[in-house]
Amino acid sequence: MPQIFPKKFNALPHLSLGAMLGGGIVMMFLVWYYFSPEYTDVGYAPEQPVPYSHRVHVDQLGLDCRYCHNFVEIADVSNVPATETCMNCHEVVLPQSTDLAPVRASWADNSSIPWVKVHQLPDYAQFSHAVHVNNGVGCETCHGRIDQMDVVRLEEPLSMGWCLECHREPEKYLRPNEEITTMGYVHSAGFLEDNLNRIKQEGIRPPTNCSACHY
Amino acid sequence: MISLPVIDGTPSGSERKLWRSRPHLDHDPSLMEQVSEEFIPGASNAPTGSNRRHFMQLLGASMAMAGLAACRRPVETIMPFSDRPEELIPGVPLHYATAMNFRGTARPLLAKSYDGRPVKVEGNPDHPNASGSSGVFEQASLLQLYDPDRSKTILRTGSPVGWEDFLSLCQRFQTRNRRVAVLAAPDSSATRARLQAQIESQFPDTRWIDYRSEGDDVETLGIQKAYGQPLQPVYDFASADVIVSLDADFLGPHAKNGTGNTSSFAQGRKLNGAHDQMSRLYVAESTYTVTGTMADHRRRMRSDAISDLAGQIATALGIYSGTNPDSFASSIARDLQTTNGRCVIVAGETQPAEVHALCALINHALGAVGTTVTLLDTGAPTQLPQSQALPALVEEMQAGQIDLLMMLGVNPVYDAPPELNFQEAMGRVSDTVHVGMHVDETARTSTWHIPLTHYLESWGDGRSWDGTLTPVQPLIAPLYEDTRSEIEILNALSSGQYTRGYDLVRETWTSVLGEEDLETAWRRVLHDGYLQDTGYPSVTAEPAFDEQLPRSDSSLELVVRLDPTVLDGSFANNAWCQELPDPITKIVWDNVAVLSPKTAEDHGLVCEYSKGRYYADVVTLTVNGHEVELPIWILPGHADDTVSVTLGYGREISTTRPERDTPFWDTDDATDIYARGTLATGVGTNVAKLRNLLAQPVSTGVQLAATGRKWTIVTTQDHGILDTEARPLIRTATMEEYQTDPAFALQGEAPTPGSDVKTDFSDYPELWKNQHPAKTPAFRDNDYWQNQWGMVIDLNTCTGCNACIVACQAENNIQVVGKKEVGNGRELHWLRVDRYFITEGGENLDTDPQIVMQPMPCQHCENAPCESVCPVAATVHSPDGTNQMIYNRCIGTRYCANNCPYKVRRYNFYNWSKTIPETVQMAQNPNVSIRFRGVMEKCSFCVQRIRQTQKRAGLETRPLHRDEVATACQQACPAEAITFGDLNDQESGVSQAMRNPRSYKLLAELNIKPRVSYLARVRNPNQDLEPAGSP
Repeated sequence: MPQIFPKKFNALPHLSLGAMLGGGIVMMFLVWYYFSPEYTDVGYAPEQPVPYSHRVHVDQLGLDCRYCHNFVEIADVSNVPATETCMNCHEVVLPQSTDLAPVRASWADNSSIPWVKVHQLPDYAQFSHAVHVNNGVGCETCHGRIDQMDVVRLEEPLSMGWCLECHREPEKYLRPNEEITTMGYVHSAGFLEDNLNRIKQEGIRPPTNCSACHY
Repeated sequence: MISLPVIDGTPSGSERKLWRSRPHLDHDPSLMEQVSEEFIPGASNAPTGSNRRHFMQLLGASMAMAGLAACRRPVETIMPFSDRPEELIPGVPLHYATAMNFRGTARPLLAKSYDGRPVKVEGNPDHPNASGSSGVFEQASLLQLYDPDRSKTILRTGSPVGWEDFLSLCQRFQTRNRRVAVLAAPDSSATRARLQAQIESQFPDTRWIDYRSEGDDVETLGIQKAYGQPLQPVYDFASADVIVSLDADFLGPHAKNGTGNTSSFAQGRKLNGAHDQMSRLYVAESTYTVTGTMADHRRRMRSDAISDLAGQIATALGIYSGTNPDSFASSIARDLQTTNGRCVIVAGETQPAEVHALCALINHALGAVGTTVTLLDTGAPTQLPQSQALPALVEEMQAGQIDLLMMLGVNPVYDAPPELNFQEAMGRVSDTVHVGMHVDETARTSTWHIPLTHYLESWGDGRSWDGTLTPVQPLIAPLYEDTRSEIEILNALSSGQYTRGYDLVRETWTSVLGEEDLETAWRRVLHDGYLQDTGYPSVTAEPAFDEQLPRSDSSLELVVRLDPTVLDGSFANNAWCQELPDPITKIVWDNVAVLSPKTAEDHGLVCEYSKGRYYADVVTLTVNGHEVELPIWILPGHADDTVSVTLGYGREISTTRPERDTPFWDTDDATDIYARGTLATGVGTNVAKLRNLLAQPVSTGVQLAATGRKWTIVTTQDHGILDTEARPLIRTATMEEYQTDPAFALQGEAPTPGSDVKTDFSDYPELWKNQHPAKTPAFRDNDYWQNQWGMVIDLNTCTGCNACIVACQAENNIQVVGKKEVGNGRELHWLRVDRYFITEGGENLDTDPQIVMQPMPCQHCENAPCESVCPVAATVHSPDGTNQMIYNRCIGTRYCANNCPYKVRRYNFYNWSKTIPETVQMAQNPNVSIRFRGVMEKCSFCVQRIRQTQKRAGLETRPLHRDEVATACQQACPAEAITFGDLNDQESGVSQAMRNPRSYKLLAELNIKPRVSYLARVRNPNQDLEPAGSP
């Protein structure tokens, strides 16, 4: 009986095995990269009901973050300001602007402006802004250069691994409490040393156990 | 597999038996199998009704869905205020003092509101008449607010109308002199009393009846009989040495002052050292109640024979001429006399007013009045018994003499005695107005129905048990626009105008507080939740009673009581209450006719056990020509020739909520308890129909006939069953034994490595021998290491009232699974209260058992067996010594539950959290993750409360205060039986409690080092009346 397959086909099992292994590894890396929050979430910049620009307000006008997000130091959630906060200025500044129409509408009929959430933590992760900003974690550390954004976009993956980077080595990220809201903060020389001293003095020991955040 | 002999902790030769149920006592093979199993049989079976084909369909569909649904996270929005109220900070909870009307008294509460929605209620700790604890109904009242079946619109003959239509009805009444009758649920509100007076002056012939589902207010009528005026007795059980209860379930969750009584009773039962004394409790009762479980001497007897016992005691004391006292009665009398007035005798709601009057006489004669009993003058007029007032009103209604009948928060069509023909009489009244939270039996037969607000949505006021004026303030605007509060409706009736509840309450309080500096005083009252020094004045009076006591009968007797989980049915549509096991029978989602083993045998009735379920005979109960069919339940310790039933079931509530209709691949609706109509409808049977014209709780001449049918009863009494024979789970001693050896609980304790006992443990491989997690730097270099959390539960004060279970459920977002799934052993209560019968050997094992309750949360073992078997490290130890359950990591292998010796782990077999209605979602605590299908959960020691407190302390740059953190169960417990805190702090409450000589750990011999300790039970029997269990 003549051979149907030429002899070189004998290499096929080995080749396919190799291809499967190689393909498997490639797949693994593809999943590892493309399924990670680093890829899927970072850069999320949904359109907001009001084209509010942090660049204009923070960078050009020099507002402090806490002018609007005024409970960040005492509450778990950093509040999105009430319409009243906007109207403090916009009653007189740009009172006719079409961009601000939803704000005026909200003020007129006492309704909420439906801001789209950009920084979404899963519900099973309990996070407190107050604890972080009172212990030297700057706004910028997690939110990036908000002052350069016309539309707020997600800068960091907000994944657990990313949280733990800082929780394990806080000295690399902390800044003096006076500089919390500073954008584009540059660490001073020898900041590692300073931070380590501070961590020791103030007993800043970020927990890494599960029930610190998950319950 | 390592096979080693089991270290046995039981002292041998003990005749004492600890058992959960008859099949357990009889060693039913299918039940005994469960002792070593994780869940009960069937718990891990596939959803019923599903076959392979269905499974493949689901598989395919779910794959397709998964592919589509997982692309993008849902877009969430942030909705800030337009104009933020000053005190409201997003994400920071606010607490408001308010109160809940419970059976005519205000229970002072502190309610917590999260971003505008109430999520939890606790007792108001500052209130002079509250200890910060709360009961089942206060806790469950939160879910009443979010009940998805609440009535939302005003109805006139069944069709929606507006509030103006009702106002115009009221206005028509302004002009002509009409006859008005009001049936109102008892309430202590001063504003309501003011409006009542207004209505009575406006309509001179007004009939106003405070309508009680349970019938006459026998306690008040009895006092009235003895003292000539309706005084209110306040019992101080803490200073009593001897307490006698005559069918009085004064510790029960449904008792009028149950929470207060439990606090004060528990004070008198605390034992911290060998020289402490505790009170002695005698109970005579027909069924087993939570009060009965606390008894040092309990005699089971027919309810109608208890009046005779009261007579005997009084005769023995020489203040009454009744039957000659037997040894039980004379022993009680002697014991009472030795206390110099530090004693109290209380009669229960099943007893006629005469017995209450006699008890008042006994208390007075013994000198208890002024010592343990305080009589308060409520200022109320003499009460006409409801059993006289109601038939008289019905007669007038029948005669067409009533023009308008208003029913405020009551449901007489459901619970009035059938002989009254109340429904027919309503037809003779031109306008019948029902005001209630549901479109219920009465609403459907009334011409008008007005939806009622919940107390968390409306302004009001009330008086606490001691009379302290207590405001009721809302935490949320009414969820439904058409709802109105009682006082707003009464005001509309009297004035024809709508006035806001706030203004009505303010008007009342203006007269109380005075015009001067009113605003400050008013704000103070709202802040504190009470007005100082406004309690009822105490009075001294001379009682007199020489009437004949009602005679007892020997025919079969029926006793109707309020239900300890759904009360009179007003909590029947509350999922938490329906799923709450009855404290004694542990039955959920049903009511039953409870019989003693002998009575059941006499009538040839059985309750068969098979594979985790009970199949009870259904019987027809016939009393006064009325028939009701009920499944039976056999309860050891129940009196013979008595049938006990509870009100509150067999409700029919209408809802406008559509049934959930889902595509075939969505199996979530199959387990959704809210999917098909209202929860209460079709659960149990209405026994109110069995009462005679006077609505007396006790009827005789009952006929019991088997129907031949069976009914499946679901009870949790065998759930989480542990080996009671090899393990001394419950340790008890008498007072005498305790005084000789206060550390009796540790006798016979099996040796464990590390303890003083010299035993060679080298054969026993030690878990974590070399690298115990607690020794690693990850643990020690963590701030949480400073606090080591632990808990102590005092079995001597725990009554098993269930308040902790509901508090835990409210705090921790525990879902309700329904009767069928509880039957499958899938209930999710993190905390269960195990009820054990204890018998001391002998032939007739199940007639006179004692009962001890044992609350069982996660024990947070230091060497936790669950942790070592989790393949994904979803359950691990935290540096502060709690066993953490990490939901997002859990893949649902259930190995942990399989390895838990206490069986405290609960598994989400279905997606119960996904299908809860929108309003019920509002009741969920935002600080606790909602668990999904396929995830294990269990008691977390309220870690969210620990973390919140730590965060608060951190922001205030201070250390945690001593005992600053309280778990939900601890906070609720009226008996203060639960102590929680930091074991590192030697002076903390929990450390002190752990040093109590009675302290022991459960299954300590396994060397798993549980963090929960129990304080052993001590009984204080009268030497004249040994043995303790029976006279």
